[in-house]
Amino acid sequence: MSETATAMQGPGVAEELRKRPYVVVFLILAVVTFVELSVNGLGLPRLETILILVVLATIKGSLVVAYYMHLRYEPRWLALIPLAGLALVAVLVAALTATVAHS
Amino acid sequence: MAHSETAGEPKEHHGSPWPVIIAVGMGVGYVGIVLANIPILLAGVAIFASGTGGWVHQDLQQPSSAFYGLVAAVESKFPKVSARKLGIWLFLVTEIMFFSAIIGSSWTLRLRTGTPGLPSFQGLWATPGEILNVPLTGANTFVLICSSLTMVEALAAVERGDQAKLRLFSLATLLLGITFLGIQAFEYQHLYFGEGLTFTHAPLGVNPLYGATFYAQTGVHGSHVTAGVLGLAYVTRKAFKGGFTKENHEAVELAGLYWHFVDVVWIFLFTIVYLI
Repeated sequence: MSETATAMQGPGVAEELRKRPYVVVFLILAVVTFVELSVNGLGLPRLETILILVVLATIKGSLVVAYYMHLRYEPRWLALIPLAGLALVAVLVAALTATVAHS
Repeated sequence: MAHSETAGEPKEHHGSPWPVIIAVGMGVGYVGIVLANIPILLAGVAIFASGTGGWVHQDLQQPSSAFYGLVAAVESKFPKVSARKLGIWLFLVTEIMFFSAIIGSSWTLRLRTGTPGLPSFQGLWATPGEILNVPLTGANTFVLICSSLTMVEALAAVERGDQAKLRLFSLATLLLGITFLGIQAFEYQHLYFGEGLTFTHAPLGVNPLYGATFYAQTGVHGSHVTAGVLGLAYVTRKAFKGGFTKENHEAVELAGLYWHFVDVVWIFLFTIVYLI
């Protein structure tokens, strides 16, 4: 059982849940999505456009994982599981980049 | 939740044959794929579907399920996270690798065949909005974000013991998921038959691999959304039957983890496929 669930058994359930910024996160996600749709129209150089879009997507993804998937409220060690997956992704990206560069 | 389910009078668990039937169905199905044998594949799908249906039906008949054996052993090692949640997170890591492979291979094809000057060059990649309808998909992205909010609100509702809002938000999430799939189906129909973007051909002189990578990336995501919608249908049905309580609602949380993960994948796919 998670700390989240354990906390939910106590008397401060409603108070605990009220503190969770689900709607605020939603509003940020919506605004960032709108910004994403506008970035290509700014006429920025290609590389800058890609970097901005990747950073915005990373912000959105991190918010969903931290707040909606409750990773922020779980024991810290649980984050090691998705981080291990991301480390493997980094290896894959490095290998593909090297392969493409070699070609 | 795990602790509440094991608290009180211990119940003997009688197990379920359905997971085994599901596994057999998947095995038969894969044999059908490997042998390119449609009847065997369909037989596997039928066994898989009946196993899944049987398992869901069985689960809907009972308010909770027991934690026992291996699960109890795992929870003794990791007492602050339930074994099921741990399992879902491990499963999601495998999904990260799966999507990384699909996206990575698509990017490799894009760079190798879409870069002028390379011997493997086959044509330029489409620019954002040249073929794909970015505003429509932007709206669909918003739909998925809304569904993440309603999903997490459903969980918060059952954690408070608010059955009415659990039913409301579960149903809303299900409908938003179906809406996402509906818009994607409309998009596919328009692109394939209207624009002529197929698996082997792209309009406007665009690289012919553009369509294949587009359908591969968005298609596997769509199949995951479909699986999520089926899971949400189960959660919603059980919620309407009063099958979740303040103390026993882990299925809502686990279905939510999967659903949010599908949302995260789409956040990156939307950027990579539609905006870059």
